[in-house]
Amino acid sequence: MDPASRPAVVIDNGTGYTKMGFAGNVEPCFILPTVVAVNESFLNPSRSSSKANWLAQHSAGVMADLDFFVGDEALAKSRSSNTYNLTYPIEHGQVDNWDAMERYWQQCIFNYLRCDPEDHYFLLTESPLTAPESREYTGEIMFETFNVPGLYIAVNSVLALAAGYTTSKCEMTGVVVDVGDGATHIVPVADGYVIGSSIKSVPIAGKDVTLFVQQLMRERGENVPPEDSFEVARKVKEMHCYTCSDIVKEFNKHDKEPAKYIKQWRGIKPKTGAPYSCDIGYERFLGPEVFFTPEIYSNDSITPLPDVIDKCIQSAPIDTRRALYKNIVLSGGSTMFKDFGRRLQRDLKKIVDARVLASEARHGGEIKSHPVEVNVVSHPIQRFAVWFGGSVLASTPEFFAACHTKAEYEEYGASICRTNPVFKGMY
Amino acid sequence: MILLQSHSRFLLQTLLNRVQNLEKAIELDFQWVEFDDVRYHILVSTKNPNVLLLSVSLPIPPPEAVFTGGLPSGAIEAIKAAYGVVVQILDPPRDGFNLTLKLNLSKLPPDEEHRHALLVKIASVREVVLGAPLRVVLKQLGSRIVAPGVGRLIALVHRPKESFFIVPQVEKVTVVFPMRFNDSIDTALATSFLQEFVQARRAAGLNNAPPCLWSSTPPLEIKDVPPEALSANAGFVSFVILPRHVEGKKLDRTVWNLSTFHAYVSYHVKCSEGFMHTRMRRRVESLIEALDRAKPGVEEGKKSPNSRSFKRLSFKDTRSNSNS
Ligand SMILES: Nc1ncnc2c1ncn2[C@@H]1O[C@H](COP(=O)(O)OP(=O)(O)O)[C@@H](O)[C@H]1O
Ligand SMILES: [Mg+2]
Repeated sequence: MDPASRPAVVIDNGTGYTKMGFAGNVEPCFILPTVVAVNESFLNPSRSSSKANWLAQHSAGVMADLDFFVGDEALAKSRSSNTYNLTYPIEHGQVDNWDAMERYWQQCIFNYLRCDPEDHYFLLTESPLTAPESREYTGEIMFETFNVPGLYIAVNSVLALAAGYTTSKCEMTGVVVDVGDGATHIVPVADGYVIGSSIKSVPIAGKDVTLFVQQLMRERGENVPPEDSFEVARKVKEMHCYTCSDIVKEFNKHDKEPAKYIKQWRGIKPKTGAPYSCDIGYERFLGPEVFFTPEIYSNDSITPLPDVIDKCIQSAPIDTRRALYKNIVLSGGSTMFKDFGRRLQRDLKKIVDARVLASEARHGGEIKSHPVEVNVVSHPIQRFAVWFGGSVLASTPEFFAACHTKAEYEEYGASICRTNPVFKGMY
Repeated sequence: MILLQSHSRFLLQTLLNRVQNLEKAIELDFQWVEFDDVRYHILVSTKNPNVLLLSVSLPIPPPEAVFTGGLPSGAIEAIKAAYGVVVQILDPPRDGFNLTLKLNLSKLPPDEEHRHALLVKIASVREVVLGAPLRVVLKQLGSRIVAPGVGRLIALVHRPKESFFIVPQVEKVTVVFPMRFNDSIDTALATSFLQEFVQARRAAGLNNAPPCLWSSTPPLEIKDVPPEALSANAGFVSFVILPRHVEGKKLDRTVWNLSTFHAYVSYHVKCSEGFMHTRMRRRVESLIEALDRAKPGVEEGKKSPNSRSFKRLSFKDTRSNSNS
């Protein structure tokens, strides 16, 4: 049977979380941490070449080959046993460890999705900064190990734009603000093509918010078991953090009505099993504030997110700028804080209006410019907008034609994976 | 961990989620495909949050293994026996599916443990349905019932347009798998894997496992099968199942392991390829390191970006990379 008659497999491998599922659905089947736990006690790094040693190494390798876990199971294993080491295959949006990545995919395909990779076309994602070499390795693994019939590697920001496909007319011009776990990228896209020279990054993302929340709770002396404190901080962040409009006012509000603003966290100590509880206070709004006032978190002079977005658009070709301001799309888990989009919109509008005023003043008030429309778009599937965009695109008939096929791979080699055409389904 | 579990992980996750949030009326509409072309569809509407429609489509059977009424023989009885009052079989099933089950989640057992066990069983619907004919035969073996069909060959579908064969006898059941792979490397790996598999069976400690054999030509048991059904590029594997392999709880596992044997081998082949790639990458890395060390005046320990690939690197490539 023709693999194109089955739904394509869509996998968005993020630094923190992998979203995977089948095209045509509105949600991924699984969202799991991008982490592999390998039993290192089998791996023998010595590279001596004697025959006997080779055999020992071989069987040790075979065991290690079988003895590993991914996702939440990996985290659980490493917590309960010392023989497993955690490896994060992706760092800052780039694959860093191909062995771990290949194992991770193997588990995703066989143990989570439980599909035969020879039966499906695959859509994978990459960051806009991924090097072509990395795309080739992905192609090698997909075609050689898994024998996939066809592969398309899409830029995640383009997919996030395409996620708007069904909610409005598909507008393939816009700025994607992707705030994930390990990387924040501002990516301008015009007609489905990334404006590469204008991509900007901010060295703060979801993990930093978690670390900051953890630090605040620790400094206040909250009674959280240290081995659990990062996980607790992450959950506190995801459940209770929100974006405020003004920190000073927010501090006042908390101080006036602590009963309303201070939340409780209840947990169980992993070692003793004893229950504990602690308070959640200012970190509720200070966490997300790191994107807007980075100096509260880091001493490096980091530019606030709204300014970076403005710089990004200002560096794009002049005829695209108005369209870009009009369609600023949020994507990634760390844009999920309540009112995040609203705050971004307000701050950005301020910057833009100030510039318009300044330029009018420079011209002595003779020239009135058109007001610039700033529009930050939020939608409910923001958390996995990239995956959803992939799901939508991979269910269009054009998708299968845009894929690189196994036959092409065998004919021309991995270099075909260096580029992927932007196809019609994207408009 | 390399064994495939009998339940669909996603189906179980969805069922558990649904059961925990029964009071929340939500809409669910999911479609997905598992190995061997088993497709699933689940549907929940806000109007009727207690009801979940689960449709399953099975691999298309080859001519020698036809279905009766769109299902393998004995499937309806197996479903009724496994699920009881929770499940109602809809006739006809949804368009494009072999089977549609209407699950009434309010009828699940109140007791936590039983409820979970039943949900796992529902998530294992492919085992119940596709494994039904095999289970009937193995059950007869276990209770040593002399059924009328003894000695007659049965073909059972396990992959699209492909079947495996069983020969039930009073004291044993012989199961034969013609092994086919699409890719030439897979075929070679699978052939050697199967030969080793048979060797491993002889090892001490596995005396109680079912005897198994591999041959490049069809074994005698299936000499009556039409030759079209016997094209196999990775030989034939046969197992002899004895009553002790289907005692009590072992029956379910044996049915599952046999009906997904091909998927198991194919999974294993893919794992081996991944493993070889890991070794090839290490090899390339160590060669590049050796080259780097051999060069005068280059600082040590610098890794070239290409070193992680197992791609054949030409000498020139390596040089230009480590110079950069
Ligand atoms: N509801 C939420 N509120 C705030 N942060 C969230 C929420 N859900 C997930 N996150 C955070 O989003 C990050 C994961 O986002 P994701 O886009 O999946 O990252 P990546 O693609 O880089 O792996 C994590 O840091 C996670 O803690
Ligand atoms: Mg991401």
